[in-house]
Amino acid sequence: MSTPLTLTPGRNPDGAVVLTAVGEIDMSNAATFANALIDTDSDADGAMFTVDLTGVEYIDSAGLAALFPHVERLRLVSNPLLAPVLSIAGLDDITTLGTEPGRA
Amino acid sequence: MNGEETGDVFAGGGDVGQDLLGVAWEQTPLGRPSQWPQSLRTAVSILLSSRFPMWMAWGPELTFFCNAAYRNDTLRSKYPWALGRPASEVWAEIWDAIGPRILSVLDTGRATWDEGLLLFLERSGYSEETYHTFSYSPLRDDDGALVGMLCVVSEDTVRVIGERRMATLRDLGSDPSVVRTEAQALAFAGSQLARNLHDLPFTLTYLFDSDGVRLAGSTGIHQDHPLTDPRRWPAETPAQGESVLVPLEGDRPSGDWHEPPTEALLVPLLRQGDIPYGFMVAGLNRYRALDDGYRGFVELVAGHVAAGLGSARSYAAQQHRAEELAELDRAKTAFFSNISHEFRTPLTLIMGPVEELLSRTDVGGDGVRAELDVIHRNGLRLGKLVNTLLDFSRIEAGRMQARFAPVDLAAATAELASVFRSAIERAGLTFEVDCPPLPEPVLLDRGMWEKIILNLLSNALKFTFTGGVRISVRAESGTAGVTVADTGVGVPEAEMPQLFERFHRIENARSRSNEGSGIGLALVKELVELHGGTIEAASVLGSGTAFTIRLRFGSAHLPAEAVTSEAGAAMVSGTADPYVQEALRWLPGGPEVPSTPDHNDRPAAVLVADDNADMRDYLTRLLRSAGHRVEAVPDGQAALEAARVRSPDLIVSDVMMPRLDGLQLVAALRAESRTASTPVLLLSARAGQEASIEGLEAGADDYLVKPFSSAELLARVRANVELSRLRNHHARWRTALVDSLQEAFFVCDADGAIIEMNSTFQTILGYGPEGLPYAPTHPWWPDREREPEAYQQVADAFAMLIDRTHGTYTIPVRHRDGHTLWAAAAFNQVEDPDTGRHVIVGTFRDVTAEHYAVQRDSALANVSVRLSEADSVAGALQGVLPVLTELWSATRVYAVVFDSSGSPSLVTTGPQTRWETLSDERRETLSALRGRALLTPFAEQSGGAGIALEHPDGAMVLWIELAENRPFTEQDQTLLALLAGHLGQGLHRIHQIDLQRETALALQRAILGPAQLPNGFAVRYSPATRPLKVGGDWYDTVTLTDGRIGIVVGDCVGHGLEAATVMGQLRSACRALLLQNTDPAQTLTALDRFAAQLPGAMCATVFCGVLDPATGELTYSSAGHPPAVVTHADGSTVLLDQGRSRPLGVRAPHAERPEAHYTVPVRATLLLYTDGLVERRRQPLTAGIGRVATTVQQARSAALEDLASVVMDSMAPESGYDDDVALLLYRHPGPLDVEFPAEATRLAPVRTMLRGWLARCGVDPATSQNVLVAAGEACANAIEHGHRQLPGGLIRLRAAATAHDLHLTITDSGLWKTPQPALNPHRGRGLTLMRALMSEVTVTTGTAGTIVGLQTRIPR
Repeated sequence: MSTPLTLTPGRNPDGAVVLTAVGEIDMSNAATFANALIDTDSDADGAMFTVDLTGVEYIDSAGLAALFPHVERLRLVSNPLLAPVLSIAGLDDITTLGTEPGRA
Repeated sequence: MNGEETGDVFAGGGDVGQDLLGVAWEQTPLGRPSQWPQSLRTAVSILLSSRFPMWMAWGPELTFFCNAAYRNDTLRSKYPWALGRPASEVWAEIWDAIGPRILSVLDTGRATWDEGLLLFLERSGYSEETYHTFSYSPLRDDDGALVGMLCVVSEDTVRVIGERRMATLRDLGSDPSVVRTEAQALAFAGSQLARNLHDLPFTLTYLFDSDGVRLAGSTGIHQDHPLTDPRRWPAETPAQGESVLVPLEGDRPSGDWHEPPTEALLVPLLRQGDIPYGFMVAGLNRYRALDDGYRGFVELVAGHVAAGLGSARSYAAQQHRAEELAELDRAKTAFFSNISHEFRTPLTLIMGPVEELLSRTDVGGDGVRAELDVIHRNGLRLGKLVNTLLDFSRIEAGRMQARFAPVDLAAATAELASVFRSAIERAGLTFEVDCPPLPEPVLLDRGMWEKIILNLLSNALKFTFTGGVRISVRAESGTAGVTVADTGVGVPEAEMPQLFERFHRIENARSRSNEGSGIGLALVKELVELHGGTIEAASVLGSGTAFTIRLRFGSAHLPAEAVTSEAGAAMVSGTADPYVQEALRWLPGGPEVPSTPDHNDRPAAVLVADDNADMRDYLTRLLRSAGHRVEAVPDGQAALEAARVRSPDLIVSDVMMPRLDGLQLVAALRAESRTASTPVLLLSARAGQEASIEGLEAGADDYLVKPFSSAELLARVRANVELSRLRNHHARWRTALVDSLQEAFFVCDADGAIIEMNSTFQTILGYGPEGLPYAPTHPWWPDREREPEAYQQVADAFAMLIDRTHGTYTIPVRHRDGHTLWAAAAFNQVEDPDTGRHVIVGTFRDVTAEHYAVQRDSALANVSVRLSEADSVAGALQGVLPVLTELWSATRVYAVVFDSSGSPSLVTTGPQTRWETLSDERRETLSALRGRALLTPFAEQSGGAGIALEHPDGAMVLWIELAENRPFTEQDQTLLALLAGHLGQGLHRIHQIDLQRETALALQRAILGPAQLPNGFAVRYSPATRPLKVGGDWYDTVTLTDGRIGIVVGDCVGHGLEAATVMGQLRSACRALLLQNTDPAQTLTALDRFAAQLPGAMCATVFCGVLDPATGELTYSSAGHPPAVVTHADGSTVLLDQGRSRPLGVRAPHAERPEAHYTVPVRATLLLYTDGLVERRRQPLTAGIGRVATTVQQARSAALEDLASVVMDSMAPESGYDDDVALLLYRHPGPLDVEFPAEATRLAPVRTMLRGWLARCGVDPATSQNVLVAAGEACANAIEHGHRQLPGGLIRLRAAATAHDLHLTITDSGLWKTPQPALNPHRGRGLTLMRALMSEVTVTTGTAGTIVGLQTRIPR
């Protein structure tokens, strides 16, 4: 049984590309996550894009590793549960704590 | 003048060149060097460059040049003054000698040659005697005119003077004549010194004598010269052995010089170890300085003169002595000659009547006849002595009348030899007579020849103890040779020159008799020489001696008037009789004299020592007739040995005896305490006060001079015995006491030498008083090589004996016959009242039997102890083998069990090995033993001993490997058999017990409780009765069908086996009831009924609860049991004291037992226990409960197992628990323990389980998330790394909570690689994440896999 994860590509009201993840990210689905990020990145076509992790309950180093290649054009929206991990991974400077579900 | 012009002339001249450069040449006839002709320049540069001493003169004034060598050797202080001056000025003092030679060279152009020419040079501040060898050669100018000369010179002063002095010393030391007198010695020295008036212009030799200082010799000075007056010289300085220099003035001789000496040296004529003989005044050569060489020369001269004086004086002393001796010898011979004549008359008058009496048949009684025999024999001996002395005096006076008649030498000699045959053969010697006929007769004086041969044969017999005597006659190159050879003691080489000297006797030679005058061989030599013959002796010490006589055939060598043609009587004359009779008396086995003791109330034990058998017999007879018990021995050594053993009342001893003489005997007796008080009466032929004083000083009690009357001897014997009895009463009493002791008694001196012993000593050790003193190392010590430990024991005991004032010890010693025994000794240091020295007095007894009994008992006890301590057969062997090792000081002990497995199992001391790795030889020995009879020891000669015995698993072989050469005695073998038997029985007993205990243990384990506990529980159990593993207490957990867990802790009355059996039944019953009821109160109620049926179950207390591990809800009921304790995470404590009722089986007014509920909070600890844990005498139970609650509270952060140990340890009384204790701990919730396949897809479900468990533990979401991520990373690593090569492996995750912490371990069965971020960057981040999120991360990689430990604190 695979780890539950839903990945939804989309756009912000301002038109920026957003990838919304809900569930858990670990080594069993990190590749899926990574592929989705690559797709999203190419959708953004060189512009900054956002990954919304507000609905993610768990992310491990495999999931974080998928984020790193895109770190130049990436903004993260996260929840308090993930904050320590993202902070340790040095991603806190591109992370905002998402509070408005409507923007996800 | 510039440098260029002059520099090259003096270049290479060194310092001299420099100084030549400085000469004001323009003021000399030669002018400036720049104007010098080439010839001069060449000559100068040759001169300067030569290392041979040279000088040259050039020009009208013969201007002087020289080089460095000349400057140093000859010119000395005249340099550099001489450079550039006229030669006649430079050498003014010798110009008389050299001027003409130089002019001759310049005139003739021919070179001169002078060798060793004496020249007096003024170069050292005085006119000096010097010698030179030199050549003057002409120098020509550029035109060929003679303008100068070159001198090449070498100085010979040292050589010439040295040779002169050496010649004088050589002559002084090589006196061609044997200097006889002091005057001759001085005259010789004077004649030699007078030949060297150069170094010694005059000498005066003075001697110190009783009147003062006397002139004894002089050279170079007239005897009447004023200087010869001794008062002129300070004689006191040389008298003290010092030299002194004295200035001379006035008229004095000049020796070989023109001028007389200005000083004289006084040197002592030194004498070894005494004041000098005198001194010598040596006038000194004024032309030589008194340097070390000169002073040494004068002192050597004085030394030669002193040596000459010394040898002259000692020669004079020797000669004086020799003349005195010769005079003495003459006087002695004259005396003997006179007195011998005087002896002959009374002798004749004794011998005649004695022979008459002996020939008569009516002289009755063996006693009388025996006495007459003695008189006759000794008369003969005296006659022989007198005749020999007479012969000497005749020879001395030239009055020996020889009559030489032709005799068949071979026959006459053989005949003479035959009379000695019986004596020689009785002595146990062989006698070979080898006398083939000679071609012609020899002119002999028959009487003299008899004396020659009889003396030689008698001598041979006297000094030969083994082997034999051989006499042979041969004709060889015009002579007849007769050789008497023996295999006797021989003559030391140093004694050979004096062998034929009169009265010369070889000291300390072993002989059959010490009697003898020392004139036999001297007489033989004189007699042979009267025959014109020669005698020679050849001897090897210890091998024998041969005398060879050579007589010429014919009569030319003999005085004609003494030669007769009549053949003499061919019979052995009476001369032979005394010789043979005397010789026979040397031999043992003469008839014992029958004793006819008179009555004597106080008979004494008398020891007689005399080498003369007649004297011995006479004394024996005499003393026995007086009623004494007599023992007779032939010498002092035998007397000493006899005295040590028998302690006679009196010793009567001759002074002159072989081996040990009388004086030495007395000294030896006095030196030993056992014999020190034995009185000694010395007999001696030496008259005079001095001799008797010597004897008495040596410690003899009395002294009697031969001849003595029998009455006098008996009186003295009686007196001495009485006196010594009085005197020695105490000592005899002491000796009797000591000898009567049952224990061995000894006295040793401060060095440890045994000097006294009693008879028991000899009985025990076999060494008797005859060997006293026994110096350490005593002969009964064990062998150092073969028995080093025993030797060390004795050495230690001995050290104690010497050092301590008293003590006891037990040591192994060796009997004289070789067997070992054990002696227990006690000793005390005491002061010898006579000498004041410390001696050690000790006693000992033979404790061999006790020793072996003790050894056996202690070995048995040791083995028994080890057997009783062992809890298994193997452990028993491990325990016993060291005992055997120690007992026999074995290098190693092997035990091999040949069981049914086919491969023998080995137990050994020392490094562990297996049977297979033993040497073939060892395996063979061990296997062979297996085939031998059981319990029959087998000892190898060296190396060890073994035995076979029964082992529960089959046959067993024991092998004691011993150090090399260590003996394994019979006692050892007995002991080994005994121990092996004991061991075999012990092993069987242990085997039986083993079986029983295994059964019991299995049963006990079955009684005690569950082998597997549910998660989250920890238990401890400590029975009060050992070795039981169970008691009356119990604990139990039961997993109910609904997932809840039943918990029971109970305590039956009492402890030990009986309580355990009750407990087992109660536990089982309770377990069954709980499974059925799932309700604590009902269970206990049912158990009440069960207990009523079971004797001993009454009044048992039980805590019974049912716990929901998911929620911590606990339902419980207590049957009189102490309350459970719950310790919360925050440290607060709750006692579960509800739901209580009476103990089991006690009838209650209400049938139903109460029940209570409690919810165990997260991370709280539940403690159930029996009263053994908390109950202490004189303390309320609540105190103990309080203490245990505190203990749990303080250790609530520890893991549960650790907490259980902490509680047991900290609650234990000092002497350990004296009651059964059961303890059960539960911490809520129980730990998580999941195992899952190493697949990524399993991560999410595991995470869900962990998240749930963390929630049950009450962990906050943030901490929970950290734990989830860290554990997730560890699991991911385990999947990635641990099982990349091994898919399908399992990963185990365990998580446990304490009050404040979470502990997780993630275990895989693979190998983690060191993180390599380049290859797999995010994995490295995994570890970083773990470290960042957890307070402690450990990664332990082993061969079995990797364990990751995570720990984090739970925020409050």
